[in-house]
Amino acid sequence: MHGLLNRDGFWVGALLATALVLPLLVSSAFATDILIRILLFAFIGVAWNLVGGYAKQLSLGHVAYFGLGAYTSTILLIRHGVSPWIGMLAGGVVAMLASLPIGALCFRLRGPYFAIATIATAQVLMLLFLKFRDFAWGAEGTTIPNLGDSPLMMQFDGKAPYYYIVLALLAVGLAITYRIEHSWMGYYLVAVGEDEDAAEAVGVDAQRIKRNVYLISAFLTALAGTFYVQYIYFIDPNTAFSFNVSVEAALVSIIGGIGTLWGPVIGTVLLEATSALLQSWLGSGHGGVQLTVYSLILIAVVLYRPTGLLGVLTDAYDGVVRARMTREKKVPLDG
Amino acid sequence: MLTTIAQAVVNGLLIGGIYALVSIGVTLIFGVVKIVNFAQGEFVMIAMYISYFLAANYGIDPLVSLAVSMPVLFVVGLLLQHFLIRRVLALGDMPQIFLTFALSLLLVNVALLLFTANYRTVQTPYSDTALQLGVLYVPTAKLIAFMVAMALSALLWVFLHATDLGKAMRAAAQNRDVAMLMGINPDRVFGVAVGVALALAGAAGSLLMPFYPAYPLVGQVFVLMAFVAVVLGTLGNVIGALIASLMMGVAESLGIQFVGADSGLIVVFVMLLLTLALRPNGLFGGWSR
Repeated sequence: MHGLLNRDGFWVGALLATALVLPLLVSSAFATDILIRILLFAFIGVAWNLVGGYAKQLSLGHVAYFGLGAYTSTILLIRHGVSPWIGMLAGGVVAMLASLPIGALCFRLRGPYFAIATIATAQVLMLLFLKFRDFAWGAEGTTIPNLGDSPLMMQFDGKAPYYYIVLALLAVGLAITYRIEHSWMGYYLVAVGEDEDAAEAVGVDAQRIKRNVYLISAFLTALAGTFYVQYIYFIDPNTAFSFNVSVEAALVSIIGGIGTLWGPVIGTVLLEATSALLQSWLGSGHGGVQLTVYSLILIAVVLYRPTGLLGVLTDAYDGVVRARMTREKKVPLDG
Repeated sequence: MLTTIAQAVVNGLLIGGIYALVSIGVTLIFGVVKIVNFAQGEFVMIAMYISYFLAANYGIDPLVSLAVSMPVLFVVGLLLQHFLIRRVLALGDMPQIFLTFALSLLLVNVALLLFTANYRTVQTPYSDTALQLGVLYVPTAKLIAFMVAMALSALLWVFLHATDLGKAMRAAAQNRDVAMLMGINPDRVFGVAVGVALALAGAAGSLLMPFYPAYPLVGQVFVLMAFVAVVLGTLGNVIGALIASLMMGVAESLGIQFVGADSGLIVVFVMLLLTLALRPNGLFGGWSR
């Protein structure tokens, strides 16, 4: 048994300990907000990566599930007084149910067709929520009633509790990814991602494996949606179904390292840190700077490092390790 | 009622001509180079800004600045193929999608930085005029745009069928390896295909300018339409893309007329999803013959 238990286990433990004490060290609300954003998008990226990374199905419509999660918990909260903790799980279930027909439709398509179809499904959902005002407040959206400090309703005074919630979500996402990566499902997924026809020829039920991983991914993405509306206290179709969420979910994984456990986390830290630095240098109000830089990074990664930046880090780490302990040899898990 | 329908059909056909220019470009690049260009709409946007600034600073009519935007975008296409697309041709679907997608993000956001999100319009003598055809009302600017779009599409068809380079492009689209064995230089053919596709997007941008505002995200409206039309018309099929674009325009226009002003896109997306569900290979099939 390798991986989490020995050398990597040390690093994961150190990382987790750092993550746990970080809010105690960081006092400014601005910095905590950046940390929460990093963890949230890392989590969405991890959920996306299951479908986009391991199975190589480039979804550009993952915001569909984010939005469904956000709307399910909000409707349950405002119309029926249901706690968002329950609403969050309900949102996950709604997203899973929605992923079945969407997946059935989109997974018949490959490559660019699949990407276009996923964009279209997310757009249709947004347009429906815009159009049907009686159902969910239409274009104006609604604010989440502020109940003060009430943990049972997922509302808190400070930012730290939100930080720990989203940290827990990310930990769950990573644990699920780790389990899948080291199971038959993981190998099937990678096989389908590499060459769907070849995988089917050796007996992998590609449609079933894609549907199953899509269910898991949709569920996780919906949890992020509920968390996000509870955190910002506001929902409307343009926020809940923003194309930028789909884009960022894909971007962080691609830039960090697609189809790797830590890729989305590395990618999000890099992108959000860059974006925070840009904001503090230039001030806000320079619309476009952030995505300009993101897209330049993405183009550079595609041209010079198609496997993502995680590869750069692990190569450097391996170099150091090899220099120290020439006997130890790391077996790369991913191509 | 009948007049309303006829009027909606006319409006839809006219705007469908513009969709056709964008989708023919997408389908041409896909057919020849086998890449889906997610940034095609952004080249429409660039042409709109070219025409806007030529009109605002020098008083040049957008129909005249077509003669600037088309060659400029043709050259941009050659450069795009040479410096970016060529380098990901061997890498498979994912890097190709990321590349054109990143390019789209980059162009939108650079435009946002340079030009802000403000809408910019050009007022021409024919911007607000219309022809009266019986009970129907045909806006002049849209009619001109439609006719130029159809003329350019016809020119492209002639180019693809009557010139050696055009025939080489069709050959490369049918079977790249065999075409190369026959002595066709793929880099040259790919470069021209991307160049022509971008020039068509450029034409769309300049033709839109008299009646449509320029803003950084404007391309996304057209590229979404183009994707739907290209899938409906079967990826890689030029005539299919043209017919499907006109259908999309009419469907959108009828949707706006009968379902509500915000419903045009719903109708279009539902058409896309239905097509994908029922006829994943599109309505027409095969490369244009």
